[in-house]
Amino acid sequence: MEAAADITWQGYSLAERDRRWRAVQDNGARAGFDCILVPHCVDGKNLHLSLEQARGTRSDSRYLTQMENGAVILPTDGRPPTVVNENGAGNSWLTEVRPAGDSWGKAMAGALIDARMERARIGVSGLRRGQVTHGRAIAGVINHSSYAEVLRRLPNAQFEDATDVVGYARYVKGDEEIACLRRGAAIAAAGIDEMIKVARPGVEEAILYAAVMRRMLELGSEYYPLALYTGPVGSNRLPRFEDGPVGRRLQPGHRIHNEVDAVWGGLVAQEQQGIILGPIPQEWKPVIELQRDLFYAGLEFMKPGLLLGELADFINGFGAKRGMRSLTLMHGRGCGDDGPLLTPQDRGERVRDVRLKKGNVFVWKPIAYSADGKIEYSWGGCVLVTEKGGEQLVRRTPGMVSITG
Amino acid sequence: MAWKAPERAGATVFVWANYSLVERNRRWQAVRERAAKAGLDCVFVPLGDGTDARYLTQLRCSSVVLPTDGRPPIVIADRGSRNEWVTEPWQTSREWTEPMAQALMEAGMERARIGVAGLKRGQVTHVSALDGAVNHTAFSEVRRRLPNATFEDATDIVGFVRHVKSREESECLRRGASMAEAAIETLAQLARPGLDAALLYARVIERLIVLGSEYYPLAITCDSIAAQRPMRYAHPPIGRRLGRDSLIQSEVGAIWGAELVEAVQPILLGRVPEEWRPVIELQREVFEEGLRWMRPGTTLGALIDRVNGFGAKRGMRTAISLKGCGYGDDGPILTPGSEAGAARSLTIDKGNVFVWRPLAASADGRMQFVWGGAVEVGDEGGRPLFERAHGMISVA
Repeated sequence: MEAAADITWQGYSLAERDRRWRAVQDNGARAGFDCILVPHCVDGKNLHLSLEQARGTRSDSRYLTQMENGAVILPTDGRPPTVVNENGAGNSWLTEVRPAGDSWGKAMAGALIDARMERARIGVSGLRRGQVTHGRAIAGVINHSSYAEVLRRLPNAQFEDATDVVGYARYVKGDEEIACLRRGAAIAAAGIDEMIKVARPGVEEAILYAAVMRRMLELGSEYYPLALYTGPVGSNRLPRFEDGPVGRRLQPGHRIHNEVDAVWGGLVAQEQQGIILGPIPQEWKPVIELQRDLFYAGLEFMKPGLLLGELADFINGFGAKRGMRSLTLMHGRGCGDDGPLLTPQDRGERVRDVRLKKGNVFVWKPIAYSADGKIEYSWGGCVLVTEKGGEQLVRRTPGMVSITG
Repeated sequence: MAWKAPERAGATVFVWANYSLVERNRRWQAVRERAAKAGLDCVFVPLGDGTDARYLTQLRCSSVVLPTDGRPPIVIADRGSRNEWVTEPWQTSREWTEPMAQALMEAGMERARIGVAGLKRGQVTHVSALDGAVNHTAFSEVRRRLPNATFEDATDIVGFVRHVKSREESECLRRGASMAEAAIETLAQLARPGLDAALLYARVIERLIVLGSEYYPLAITCDSIAAQRPMRYAHPPIGRRLGRDSLIQSEVGAIWGAELVEAVQPILLGRVPEEWRPVIELQREVFEEGLRWMRPGTTLGALIDRVNGFGAKRGMRTAISLKGCGYGDDGPILTPGSEAGAARSLTIDKGNVFVWRPLAASADGRMQFVWGGAVEVGDEGGRPLFERAHGMISVA
């Protein structure tokens, strides 16, 4: 992969900006909104529901502006958006930006009034969790004091949740986004290669963690914490670390599970690879084999038009045919906290009627279980939905890596 | 307990949680006392204000109801997390609104005066959060469920407790400072003309993680020393290699014991130009004088005026640059050119820890030098928590 210093990509084009704005405007107009408001949102360090929040809480604004922290007023009649940020500094997408001054609320309300929205029907993104974005944030991501000030200053406007208006625009990736996710997935895969190179019994886990992060950063990824799980192969639930583990060393027979994420072009890609420090126990082999078959069967099944409920039923019933169990584990990839979310915790009842579309990108990592549930294995990475089914963004082969040397 | 924990929750995430129970009790008691003095019945740290919640619980993600009458807090946590400080939190999964409302009711706060941390920007915490850090939908619903309670901002109630560090915190800050120093050594060892700037960035982060620091973005510049407005990177620089006269202005943050410290060190590829030497020397003097001025009881306004006026005697310019250290978004933040406003009247207290990095500049502003790190306020003024020699590091 080319070195970060040799990369000449200058960022997303204006055509990509216009594609995103238009998609949100079209969705917003169809829902009967006069404008879409992406308000000032709580930062991801403070609203730290999960790793996804680090980039997820302000993801809608980043999607529409490429700014880390902004509020957006996007009229649905085709006018360009008004954007408010901390200091009024613009970028290649937006040359004119309003500074928040001493109050985001006052600045956002002023922008809405200037856009003639005093009596409008305003769709607000991020008020609640959506079907395909902000899936982990049941109560949404919006900052209270500033939004309350907007409500106070526009008493005759009607404010309604429009998380899905922006969400469904984000849900289908453009060509530039797919190219970025492909590079992100390749960087994450390089992080996994580094993990396999470094992981040995006796190695400090902080050194392993640091080496993986270093590898991805030197390839140009923004920092996105590796989620690292380590412990004896027999442990059902391994402890999870999102910083370098302190005071822990890898041991013979340890299993390493991970979520390796890389960020390129502001989009979060993820790859996952199980590793065992020793030979793979016999009782694990059928589970790993089932997982591999689940992974590929899911890819074949994953065609545009399919309902997520149909996909989940197919995967969840797959293991029983072999006297084992299986469960869907997947979620969207993009600017952060992308859905739809199907995990052991969120079984996807809310999103059964969501259809797959060409251009969706998911992290696809279905889980296989032994019949008694004591052995559980998940493997996966980024897949793109195409007419022919799911396509891996980086070619890797399902399985467990055994390190015996 | 009215709240029923959900059946399913995500994997428990382990975070550093090694402060003692004595430290826990100190923090809880200090917050209670300040809140009681302000006439509040409890302090509520709602969803969204993660830093104050971590300060009071050592948990990764939590919400807290701390009555001022001496009762222990009700803490809501997720992913099965618990620790020595909070052995039996109310467990939740993704739902926070309902347990927060129930916690306030269980604590008897239906008609209480409730102080809300993080509702607005504080004087010494949440200082860059103009409108606080509270989640709207969850907080609005809590207010709806307790229509007879009054909710007021209490950011400074927790903030001024966080502002004065204990001995345990001071030790953590010192360790964090030593990590930042090690990272600067790595920077200086690796920086060479032609080096991929992303690789340099990556190696510094690697060093910090190996030493045990939680992640904090490294900020660096890598343009020519002649550049007037060098590009600042808080992510790995893309498409950049170090040049023969690159000036790497680094702000290296390290976190230990949840406390963030920063070190600032310029590194020049090449010899330090003669014309820069008086500016660097002036910065050394204002750094050291500032430490002496930084005594308990001094107002920030007085410190600002003395620092900003110091350079003129030498025909150059100096300006304040200082910010608080702690759990995150600590203040005060004083930067060159910014109006300190209400912060001018704040007094410096023993136990404050700041990143102290005053600016010195040539008369025409063309050469600007900033250097510094974490300093702790004692009876005699500021004491650096690091031992790095002053000056520009030259990699010839």
